[in-house]
Amino acid sequence: MNKSDKILIIILVIILLVVFLLKIIFKTDSTYANVYYENNIIKTIDLTIDATYTVEGYNGDVVIEVLDNKIRVTEENSPLHICSKQGWVSDGTPIICLPNKIIIKIENNSDLDTISR
Amino acid sequence: MTTNKIARISMLLAISVVLGLVESYIPIFNVIPGVKLGLANIVIVYAIYKYSFKDALYISILRVFLVGLLRSGLFSITFFFSLSGALLSLIFMYLFKKYTKLSVIGVSIIGAISHSIGQIIIAVIFLSNINIIYYFPILLLSSIITGIIVGMLSKKIIEYA
Repeated sequence: MNKSDKILIIILVIILLVVFLLKIIFKTDSTYANVYYENNIIKTIDLTIDATYTVEGYNGDVVIEVLDNKIRVTEENSPLHICSKQGWVSDGTPIICLPNKIIIKIENNSDLDTISR
Repeated sequence: MTTNKIARISMLLAISVVLGLVESYIPIFNVIPGVKLGLANIVIVYAIYKYSFKDALYISILRVFLVGLLRSGLFSITFFFSLSGALLSLIFMYLFKKYTKLSVIGVSIIGAISHSIGQIIIAVIFLSNINIIYYFPILLLSSIITGIIVGMLSKKIIEYA
């Protein structure tokens, strides 16, 4: 491993740390989550209400559960079940069910694409 | 292409396919989409250093086709992920090898990262939803690690064979 390699790794680690810091700085209180089918919001879920919802994904029904301001996918039709294995989400990380084309994202109250200073 | 070369490239292709298949059966890598060891890329890195860009391109594309045929189904979404990742990683590895002073390990890291970027691009297009970008940090981390591993293995093989 030569000097250039080490510089590359350092740059990448810095990028990682910056991204990680940004995630912490912009952590917001989750109030609701949007369920997207492709690029369209098909359901908006209030996270303060514990409930179970069913939406229609590309491969069949996708069952979503809300508990204690957290959300997860409990059941869906796909080869690897990655998004149901993902478990509970309470921050801005999206739950992505690729084969079903379903994305669940907890949004905050402010405008999504602005960075406030 | 001489018969000798065809035979050698075919052997490399076969090795790459086997590595790709074996890897897809290890369940650990199914937790986060896009995270994988990428052992099959050792062959690609080897081909870039010991053969030519074109030869590495043949191996890359044919490998994606063969693994797609054998594993996930030709022209499924996984196939397009693999194709996009493989092509992008090959192009960037070649460019960085040619125009920077990175060693095999650095080139391999670049390959791993661009492979992930290629997959994210296809995922965003397939879902028409930009939120997939949230996966990038974790993919970046795993790419750095697997890039170093694959790079070290490739380096040894290039030295000894």
